[in-house]
Amino acid sequence: MINKGVGLCFLGCLVLLTGCNDQRILEETGFIQSASYDELTNNRIVYGISIPIANPEIKATRAFLMTDAMSSKQARTHLSRQTNLQLVSGQLRVALFGLPLAKKGIWRIMDTLIRDPTISEKIKIIIVNGEAAGLLKKNFKEFPRTGQYIDRLIKKEAIRHSTPLTTLYSFSRDYYDDGIDPVVPIIKDTGKTISLDGIALFQDDTYKGKINPEEAVVFAILRGNFKQGEVSLALPKQSQDTTVMLSSLNSSRKVNVKYEDDGNIRINIQIQATATVSEYIGELKLSNDAERREIERVISDQITEQAERILKTLQRFSTDSLGLGTYVRNSMTFAEWQKLNWHDQYPNVNIECRIKLRIKDYGFRR
Amino acid sequence: MRFFKRIMKTIFMKTIVSAASAQKAKVKPEIPTLTHILSEFNDCVDLVHRYYPEVNVHLVYFDHQVDHDKLYREVMNPLIHVHAEEEVPKLLEQSQFTLVRDSKELVEGILSGRVAIFSNSKTYLVDVFGLQSRSVSQSESETVITGPHDAFTEQAGINLSLIRQRIKSSHLKVIKLSVGEVTKTDVYILYIKDIANMTYVNEAIRRISNIEIDAVFDTNMLLQFIDDAPFSIFPQFLTSERPEAIASKLVAGRIVGIVDGSPSALSAPTSFFEYFSSSDDYNQRWMLGSASRLLRFLALFITLSFTSLYVSVTTFHYEMIPENLLITLTESRSKVPFPPLFEALFMEVTIELLREAGARLPSKIGQTIGIVGGIVIGQAAVQAGLTSNILIIAVASSAIASFVTPAYVMSASIRFLRFGLIILAGVWGNFGLAVGISAIVIHLSGLTSLGSSYLTPIAPFKPRDWKDVFIIAPFKYITERPSQSKSPNTVKNKMRK
Repeated sequence: MINKGVGLCFLGCLVLLTGCNDQRILEETGFIQSASYDELTNNRIVYGISIPIANPEIKATRAFLMTDAMSSKQARTHLSRQTNLQLVSGQLRVALFGLPLAKKGIWRIMDTLIRDPTISEKIKIIIVNGEAAGLLKKNFKEFPRTGQYIDRLIKKEAIRHSTPLTTLYSFSRDYYDDGIDPVVPIIKDTGKTISLDGIALFQDDTYKGKINPEEAVVFAILRGNFKQGEVSLALPKQSQDTTVMLSSLNSSRKVNVKYEDDGNIRINIQIQATATVSEYIGELKLSNDAERREIERVISDQITEQAERILKTLQRFSTDSLGLGTYVRNSMTFAEWQKLNWHDQYPNVNIECRIKLRIKDYGFRR
Repeated sequence: MRFFKRIMKTIFMKTIVSAASAQKAKVKPEIPTLTHILSEFNDCVDLVHRYYPEVNVHLVYFDHQVDHDKLYREVMNPLIHVHAEEEVPKLLEQSQFTLVRDSKELVEGILSGRVAIFSNSKTYLVDVFGLQSRSVSQSESETVITGPHDAFTEQAGINLSLIRQRIKSSHLKVIKLSVGEVTKTDVYILYIKDIANMTYVNEAIRRISNIEIDAVFDTNMLLQFIDDAPFSIFPQFLTSERPEAIASKLVAGRIVGIVDGSPSALSAPTSFFEYFSSSDDYNQRWMLGSASRLLRFLALFITLSFTSLYVSVTTFHYEMIPENLLITLTESRSKVPFPPLFEALFMEVTIELLREAGARLPSKIGQTIGIVGGIVIGQAAVQAGLTSNILIIAVASSAIASFVTPAYVMSASIRFLRFGLIILAGVWGNFGLAVGISAIVIHLSGLTSLGSSYLTPIAPFKPRDWKDVFIIAPFKYITERPSQSKSPNTVKNKMRK
């Protein structure tokens, strides 16, 4: 009983002695929902933030603040002088990086995102083809607040595998892993709208090149197992105006690493895919087994061809975005892996790719 | 805390000493005489003294305590038919007349509605008690939808018969005790022999007979004298107005106390989780019963933590708010001039005022209170910018959730605890909430009821009991009496599975 009494007194003291300096009362707080980072000369960055405004007396739905500084936390103290709200980053959803900055490397800036515990691991990393601050500053009349617009756009597109969903977590994971390089969605301003501009390929934290949005699904097929994809293909080999739309595309990837007699590494990617045909404009009949096999073969060839083109591009940029390095690493001892300079080897590795597509369902019409 | 206890003790000690000295003043059994009795009840206008000169018999009784029909049948009519004084002793040999040799016993007898018969220097008592009492009616505070609707009344005799009606067993034993130096209230301890554990029975008898107080008027008052931890906020004995609930407690091996003059009976030992069960649960299909019981535990968490979670989230943890809610929440907060802590306390106190006003007023005016409270305060407080409308939702739903608890005493305790949690949340945020809830859990696990753990079957861990505590399994799977009652006969269901 005496312990309980002492405990209660102790708790009471703590209550009385605790200051209220850690408070962040909702209406006095400015939530940075999206932040943009752009390059300026001599290591300075342009830092822009977008804050939603919930005060019904103010007509604007958000505020955009911009400054330049050596680091983003320094920039925040600059921006803090311009606003009546206490700036906090716990609601950050989107971090936008300008392309020129991405070409120089973004890890220096990501440090603050990773170190600050209030920032979620789930914030989306996005590259802007152009100036990030300019895009974030711009209001798109027919769409929600720009930050939210981008956030939802990427989230929705990622469900259909048109773009990878790169979060702070997955970027830093791929950054630290020496067998894989990160990929990031890239967007651009197209006047009245924002649109996906493909997939940015990184070597460590540096932008090397990009993949066009048309090839994004095939890239996703190559990158790993996925479900519920959608792709539309023209099949010029069959006839000039044959097109096919595949939905419910599920695929699984198998990677084999082999060594040729001269010690060269040879990587074999096997992909099994199933899909539903939701549109087919062409001469063959899907209900006929033999003809369906034929279509399956043509589509497989077509995708394989695209995939090989993508692999060439990746090797040219020397970005191992598919994580083939992890398979190579698994096939040898750690000492050998350390001796092997994967990034130097990678462009010269012989990569084979084979996709097998099976049509599961082609609708009720015969 | 200790200092406080010492003060309380000295205050209590005084009453105990005075009560003890009054007991010492007892004298040896006194031969009851008519003159003594009449002088004892001097100035009691409701006392009736009748004299039958033909047979030299005096009757003394309280007019309003006796059943006049019964009095005529049992006493007056036989006396009229006696013609000679010599025949009277023969008549009084009949078993309903009991010979009394102690004047104190006689006084008590007259007080409890018996008729004293003085004949030939001998004194007899005959029970013709017939108090006008309220008839058995529905319970106001514990209602069920399905199941029996009768409830206990203020008269212990009726209450006992309601229980006997349900348990027709000679093993149902009743022990009578008396509490209150002045009031001499009858307290009955009920248990089923061979099902109840006698240690609990003896402990309850010991505690009740050790009470030294001038008056006890209600069960809920009595049990505060026999609590294991009088300084705890939680009730430690279940009280119920429902005979079938109390009967089920008896069959489960618990013991039951009935206080004359109180419409609620107590059951012991009690666990925390018993307060969240209602007879309705057993009268429905087992799945629905389980669902509504789980709902009540959910309501417990809502009522404890919803408002405090609002306070902590709006004061400290803006990260926790979903993106879509953020703007609406900030917008509704933006007009409020107070910090969330005061805003929430203001609203909670208003709700408590409304509840208290509603409880004290007759039900017709109570409706007006509902309208005033619901529309005027709810709507106007938001429009005037005193509170945010999301807080109104939080406060209202936690108030509603608190009324889901079937036992009113428990729901009042939980509502009271909520204020502590709100203050902790306003000062420390979620950390404070965690501290507060941990403190409650620690306190609960230390509590006992008649010496058995209050948190059974969580601590001690008895998963076997869970199918009748958190859910209600189909009856054929509930084969044992609850472990808390430590029954010598645990098996209650011999059905083959």
